[in-house]
Amino acid sequence: MATAINKSLIGKEYPPYPVTVERGKIKEFARAIGDANPLYLDDRVGAASEWGDVIAPPTFAITFRDETADSAAFLRELGTDISRLLHGEQEFEIFRPLQPGQTYLCRAKVVDIYEKTGRSGSMAFVVRETTIADHSNEIVATMRGVTVVRL
Amino acid sequence: MKYAKVYFDDVNVGDELPPLVKGPIQQIQLTHQDDEFARAAGMGGVFAHGMLSMGFVGQAVTDWSGAGTVRKLNVRFAAIVRLKDVVTCRGRVVGKSSKDDVNLVELEVWAENQRAEKVVTGRATVVLPSRV
Repeated sequence: MATAINKSLIGKEYPPYPVTVERGKIKEFARAIGDANPLYLDDRVGAASEWGDVIAPPTFAITFRDETADSAAFLRELGTDISRLLHGEQEFEIFRPLQPGQTYLCRAKVVDIYEKTGRSGSMAFVVRETTIADHSNEIVATMRGVTVVRL
Repeated sequence: MKYAKVYFDDVNVGDELPPLVKGPIQQIQLTHQDDEFARAAGMGGVFAHGMLSMGFVGQAVTDWSGAGTVRKLNVRFAAIVRLKDVVTCRGRVVGKSSKDDVNLVELEVWAENQRAEKVVTGRATVVLPSRV
């Protein structure tokens, strides 16, 4: 049974949401991926570094969520459910490392939805971008994810 | 030497990153935990979140270039990583450029499992200091 993907979501922007980076979360994340880099884990090494404090690993922003949003709503709007999803691609662009104690404002947008038929059947590709701005509204990082929906 | 400072001047196209071996993947690292659900979804059982492999690839880059040097990292998730898999991350310098006093090194990065199947392929760009 083919699932119809709601392409009218292309261009949809979501309400901006703040994320305050906690020191402990950076360390938990680094340990979860098994990266013991002292610039992530050791406050003294961070303080003595050019950053003045520990920094987050390059993929840390994947943990950012709008805690007030209904995370299932997006899949419902899209016309699918989690059992059909795969993470296809991911990109991070980092202009300045994320750091503890900072509050960032995230803005997420659906930039594209397209379909392809390959060896494993028909799939839809949902491309989402999130910009991450600091307190002075300067963009410090962006992330772009491609979610694959098996139709 | 791990975490040694790498200078732009000393990097050449074709240089290879030291391989980073991660694993075997343990149960707790599988963020997709429900085997029955995963089988019913046609995925042949539980598997690791792609972001685990991408985290490994990020570490392979920063172990070489230093934490805080990554300007860009993008990957395609090419194959699924499962329990007990051993993931080896590799990379190679494919380009160098300087613009406005910023020195960029472009890398091809990938990760493969114990059967030499690529599970992640991608690109990274790092900013490196110059000796002068």
